[in-house]
Amino acid sequence: MRIRDLSFLVSGLALVLSLACGGGSSNSAASTQPPPAAGLAYTNPTGSSWRLVKDGSSTATRVVLNLMGPAGLKTRGVGFNIQAPTTVKFGAFASGLPINDAGVYQLTMTGSTDPSEPLAITGGVKKGNLLSVGIYQKDRTQTAQDSSVTLCQIAIVFDPTAKLAVGSNLALTIPKAKVIPEDIGSASDDTFTLDKKMHMADITIAVGTLTAN
Amino acid sequence: MHGMFPRPLTALVFALALGPVLSAAQPMTPSALAYHRAQQPKRVALAQADLLAHRTELGLSAREAFVPAHSFTNAQGEAIVHLDHTFDGYRVLGSQAIAKVPLGGTIQAITGKVLKGVQVDNEPTLAPETAKAIAVRHLDVKGAMKDAPRVERVLFPAQFLGGIATAVDPATGKSILDRKHSVHAKLASPYVWAYEVKTHVQNSQDGLKALTYYIDGRTGNILRINDAIDRQSATPTTGSGQGYYNGNVAIPTSQMVDGTYALYDPTRGSLPNPYLQYFTPDGSGWGPTGLQAWYELNDAQGNNTGQSFLFQGNAANNWGDGLPFSIGSFGQEGGLNGQTMGVDALYALTWTWDFYNNVFYRNGMDGLGTTAIAQVGMTGSWYKHNAYWDPYYQGAFLGTGTPDGFGSFTEFDVVAHEMTHGVTGTTVQFVNAAGYEEAGLNEATSDFFAQMTKAYAAGGGGSAIPEADLPWQIGAGVGHGTPIRYLDKPSQDQRSVDGWYDGVHFMDGHYSAGVLNRALYLLAHGASATPGDINYSPYLPNGMVGIGNDKTARIWFKAVTEMLYSGGMGTVTFQEARDAAIQVALQLYGDSAGGYGFDSLTSHAVENAFGAANVGLNYAEPPRTQVRFADWRNNDYIQRTHFTAYANRQFLPIGEKVVPRITVLNNPNTAVTWTLGGPSIYNNGLHDGESGYALKGGVINADGSWTTPYELGWYALTATSQADPKQFAEGRAFLINMDTDQDGEIDALDLGPISFSWLLRPGVNPAHSMFEAPEVDDGDIAAFADAMKSTWWVK
Repeated sequence: MRIRDLSFLVSGLALVLSLACGGGSSNSAASTQPPPAAGLAYTNPTGSSWRLVKDGSSTATRVVLNLMGPAGLKTRGVGFNIQAPTTVKFGAFASGLPINDAGVYQLTMTGSTDPSEPLAITGGVKKGNLLSVGIYQKDRTQTAQDSSVTLCQIAIVFDPTAKLAVGSNLALTIPKAKVIPEDIGSASDDTFTLDKKMHMADITIAVGTLTAN
Repeated sequence: MHGMFPRPLTALVFALALGPVLSAAQPMTPSALAYHRAQQPKRVALAQADLLAHRTELGLSAREAFVPAHSFTNAQGEAIVHLDHTFDGYRVLGSQAIAKVPLGGTIQAITGKVLKGVQVDNEPTLAPETAKAIAVRHLDVKGAMKDAPRVERVLFPAQFLGGIATAVDPATGKSILDRKHSVHAKLASPYVWAYEVKTHVQNSQDGLKALTYYIDGRTGNILRINDAIDRQSATPTTGSGQGYYNGNVAIPTSQMVDGTYALYDPTRGSLPNPYLQYFTPDGSGWGPTGLQAWYELNDAQGNNTGQSFLFQGNAANNWGDGLPFSIGSFGQEGGLNGQTMGVDALYALTWTWDFYNNVFYRNGMDGLGTTAIAQVGMTGSWYKHNAYWDPYYQGAFLGTGTPDGFGSFTEFDVVAHEMTHGVTGTTVQFVNAAGYEEAGLNEATSDFFAQMTKAYAAGGGGSAIPEADLPWQIGAGVGHGTPIRYLDKPSQDQRSVDGWYDGVHFMDGHYSAGVLNRALYLLAHGASATPGDINYSPYLPNGMVGIGNDKTARIWFKAVTEMLYSGGMGTVTFQEARDAAIQVALQLYGDSAGGYGFDSLTSHAVENAFGAANVGLNYAEPPRTQVRFADWRNNDYIQRTHFTAYANRQFLPIGEKVVPRITVLNNPNTAVTWTLGGPSIYNNGLHDGESGYALKGGVINADGSWTTPYELGWYALTATSQADPKQFAEGRAFLINMDTDQDGEIDALDLGPISFSWLLRPGVNPAHSMFEAPEVDDGDIAAFADAMKSTWWVK
């Protein structure tokens, strides 16, 4: 039994060696294929409106994107859906969520010291590799926040099993994005006024170019 | 042939030489037993010292200790000592050791429930009075409290945090989030200082409440709420004689100073009843010590007047007319017809007391001799059709029933059932609420010992339980021939279950009791190998020979009073109950006693009986297929237990395709068949078509996914193994409407309207659709985030 096992091993090894030392025609065919990618590259979009900008903490295989808004705009929260090819994955942060709080929005009640208070931040990956994330201030008595800084982060992770070729373009699209505007009315406003003001506002988020690297 | 030894409960056995070891089952004379009872205080101290000496082995620090909480001497003369685990002198909630100090040999301690790694560095910043005020404010009583709240500083383990609670909206009949009783707290550290606040309310505005609150000692957050009342949901009755159910019976009474008689037995009970201590002896000869039957006085329409009286003033010492309680007797509960209820109640009270005293050497329900009472004639919408044991009053409170509905709840086995709650309430301390498997253990223990008490009474007394011709039913008389429950095949009531499944904890304990009722019945009575027989189990197709009432009762009594401990935390499972019973069988009867069971060993008979109820394996059986719902969340607050909530549950969106997660063990064929609804759909006594129970709805798709319906509420799903259809599991989901921006798509942007609706008055809340609640609060945020995570988790 042991001898038979050994003979299998030897013959298997021989087969592997012969493939590795294959003839010239094989080498010629391989030269037409781009080499397999080992990571991701992201080029930031131009402009200074809403945009996703690569964060310095990114690595070769994990691109962290910062959501930033235009200068001078104040908001109370933002949510967006972003779709990526299924050949890459959206990554989670330490909280387990696919969105990371940058600390700008106040996700708890004013003055809260309760560690158990649920935070107004959520996210998940829907069918078709559509990442949906949102981060909001839940206390309407708090002031709106300057949105020209990093408001939140998402992450896109290289998937080695996807066998992407170097240079492959990985299109990112953002079909929906909204913010809670600064003026959502006051709790003391009449119902008509409140109804008029309490809506999320559509925005367009510019996204850069993602390629396999 | 010997099988493998069952897996022992986690235990430490401490070597402490006390002399020669005697057999646990060795009989003992009354004088010997009296001697050993006298030694109990010394043995309690020994147990405490021994546990303290082994702190290091238990993983405890010098700041931790053990203090005796409850102790008694069992029939074998062994001191059984329950010791609370303390940290800096304060009780660690849900952490207790049970030590057995035998006549000789070694002290044995069950330490599986002793929590390790206890650590807290700060101190509470709240005063006890503040915690009490928080609890009372939450309780929101309309009338007067029965007792002043009692507060105790404790160390609270984060694992016992409460979770969500749901209730039925009286306006719509739908299940809604019970915000008042839901616990949202999440703790940053595994242990925090807290205050335990026990409340007790009983009045016409509030009904009966006995809620125990756990208040964070620093934040004031409510961490958990327990309901301490053991109640029996019931159904109807019949009988004849001076007692309606028991016929003409001799009952212990007293001749009072004025020469009249009362339903008062001063020979049983050595400590005063805590309820009766509110009454002042009037020189009649009455006192608060001694079994006795009282009645609640109602007006002529059956409304409670708030006054209670002892059955007394009877000149001839003849009681009752043997007739069912009549509507015409309202307002005259102390009269001849009302006395019939008192006769039945006191008769059962007396026999149950003697049963525990003579068979198990247990002095009263609490083992201390505290007087138990029965109060009959209870009315009001809840009391009339119910019976319950009040642990604070050490009493069985029994409803009148109604002329066109149930009979009075004074039937023998109903009273014995309630009194048994007094035994378990002072030993294992099962929590009594749907959401916990042990709720079923609690009710079944009461059902089973009610049967044993009937057998004992039928045999006329003594110290053993005869093989009487038992009906194995509860409340057959109350239901006019239709039992409230069956023990032999519990599913005969169309609600209870005959076997365990993952999800049985969803059931009200009166119905999940079927698992243990079935196991104990089969253990005592035996199981048939003929399909179709009432005692045939498909889980034990070859059947088994029963070991009889006496052995079964002794095994289970010892298991439930000496081996298991919950402390009201809901941690005891049917599997643990089985393991404990096997251990006791080995202790009492040895594993080679022979003559019992399918393969001639008592412990194997226990394995088979529980296996026949799908709890663990039959003797020498290979692993069974099991179907389990995976944990649907990552230990967030909603997953935790709560007195009205459920484990194995999650929030999910309405109108969405979701994929429930399921695990099939011990079978290469992991395919399951999904069905809507589940066996626990009868929860809280409700059934299909009635509001307030888990619904079934939506569509099971070919790929196993579930397209959820568009209706809010609790929904049940069942996964059944295709390889072994006897094995299945039930899960629950609470469906919410997440599309708060009403754009036809559920996504994270829908959390926005919830956020900007914060602090808005009802009526202008665009996110109200989620729970159909008028206002937004943290429950909405938490539920939304949870549903996102359950439905579209990040892989």
